[in-house]
Amino acid sequence: MAHIWPIGGGKGGSGKSFLASSLGRLLAKSGKKTLLIDLDLGAANLHTMVGVPYPEKCFSDFVTKKIPVLEDTVLGTPFPNLFLISGAHDNLDIANLPYDKKIKTLRAIAKLQYEYILLDLGAGTAFNTLDFFLASRNGIFITTPEPTSIENVYRLMRAIYFRRIRHYFSATDFKALEKKARQQSGDDSFNKPEHIISIVKKEYPEKYMLIKKDFNSFCFKLILNQLRKQDNTDLGMQICKIIKKHLGINVIFTGNIAYDEHVHDAICQRVCFLDRYPHTRAANDLRELNSKMSDSLGEQLMLNYL
Amino acid sequence: MEKDFAQLNYYEMLDIKPDATALEIRSAYNSALQIYQSDSLASYSFFSPKERKEIITLLEKAYFTLINEKEKESYDNELIRLGIIDSTEKNAAVKGPVSIFDINRQRDTSGMLKTHNAELKAKVSQNQRIREILSQQKISGADLKAIRNELGVAIENIHQETKIRIDYLNGIEENNIDKLPAAVYLKGFIKAYLKCLCIEPADEISARYMSGLARN
Ligand SMILES: Nc1ncnc2c1ncn2[C@@H]1O[C@H](COP(=O)(O)OP(=O)(O)OP(=O)(O)O)[C@@H](O)[C@H]1O
Ligand SMILES: [Mg+2]
Repeated sequence: MAHIWPIGGGKGGSGKSFLASSLGRLLAKSGKKTLLIDLDLGAANLHTMVGVPYPEKCFSDFVTKKIPVLEDTVLGTPFPNLFLISGAHDNLDIANLPYDKKIKTLRAIAKLQYEYILLDLGAGTAFNTLDFFLASRNGIFITTPEPTSIENVYRLMRAIYFRRIRHYFSATDFKALEKKARQQSGDDSFNKPEHIISIVKKEYPEKYMLIKKDFNSFCFKLILNQLRKQDNTDLGMQICKIIKKHLGINVIFTGNIAYDEHVHDAICQRVCFLDRYPHTRAANDLRELNSKMSDSLGEQLMLNYL
Repeated sequence: MEKDFAQLNYYEMLDIKPDATALEIRSAYNSALQIYQSDSLASYSFFSPKERKEIITLLEKAYFTLINEKEKESYDNELIRLGIIDSTEKNAAVKGPVSIFDINRQRDTSGMLKTHNAELKAKVSQNQRIREILSQQKISGADLKAIRNELGVAIENIHQETKIRIDYLNGIEENNIDKLPAAVYLKGFIKAYLKCLCIEPADEISARYMSGLARN
């Protein structure tokens, strides 16, 4: 089965698509058959970053059944081994993807024959986005060292935590849990999965053990993008420390990507940054990240959906 | 994953082992403040102001307990009694000063010292020994070293912040005349050193150091 790397970040512009296209390019270059799926429906632009300006078919063709088999929506790119399912021309927003279509999509993704499948998830915390992120144990968070971006990535992490707990309960049981959390810890507990989990521990000890085991098996990663000279290079470590200590989630800090004007230049020229400017700091950072990540592959189970 | 910060023991709060040396405890406290202080980017939006305040209060309590030999002793005994730590785990092997920063790894500490200035200043004004030293007519290199140790700042850290060569810094602290740079530079170095530790007025104190040196 393919290694699936969902890429999520709180804020628009943090570099999710740039990262997806760059990692895709590096994996493909090292001979791995790699597929990029643009799930940033409604704001898709991954095709532009991998040299496919006019995708003639896309993901929504699968959703509308115009193309019955997901594999048939795959497009080639100018790069050997690199393939794309585009999200362009979508009048569909990810938040509006109906539940049954989502499950159908997840199952179809799991069956695709590629070595690596990277999911560009777009910003936001729509349930569908969270579920795609949770499709693999190897989700990647990306943020810039700005408070706005960090705020959003924390919100995303908590939303994912929440969503995962939610998977273990029926709608009514979960509502009851939320209500209890609100009674015990006030209104903002709604956004804090750590409150809910302490109630789960008390009232559903078996489920608690399962959830705990589940969380321990995650191999999430964090990447800081657009670091400038003056930025604190330890920031990523510090964020992971906080997540570990206060949410109990293991997120591995994988590295920094330098801020580089050339990224903008390459995107404007619509060429691959890594090919156009291979000797820049940011290109080095990307190569280093890629080798670190392909070294640390965990178990690749698709969760719950099979 | 459900463990509240308040339920952690002091060692867990500071991410150190029970045999940590005083310098390690200080350094752990400094790193924790870096993460939890209200102007910290790393924890931005993660905590409510109330939660943050509670955490800082706990960290302070942990730090002041562990840094005080007597209080650490009785706290350790309590943990041993509760079976949380082993009596063999405690007792530091090395009691002497240990470098608190990893010198081999280049890291950007500029942001770090900045956030610690307020804390350093507070320490300077509260520390009896430092006040005594600063009231002396003559300030020697050994005095500077004593101040630095009181503040728990490693010499490497001063080097990184001021970019003054380590051998010069050592020369200054050891009062080793042969290793000192020319007087024109020396005064600037002393000032930078003092500023780095938030010791004011740096001008006047460095002048006292220089005149002491001239008389020898
Ligand atoms: N390392 C970098 N250095 C300089 N600029 C960068 C870097 N990474 C990304 N950028 C800039 O940020 C812009 C946004 O990047 P990207 O489109 O990958 O973000 P995104 O997270 O996918 O945003 P959205 O949520 O809107 O899809 C890029 O057009 C590029 O100009
Ligand atoms: Mg994007």
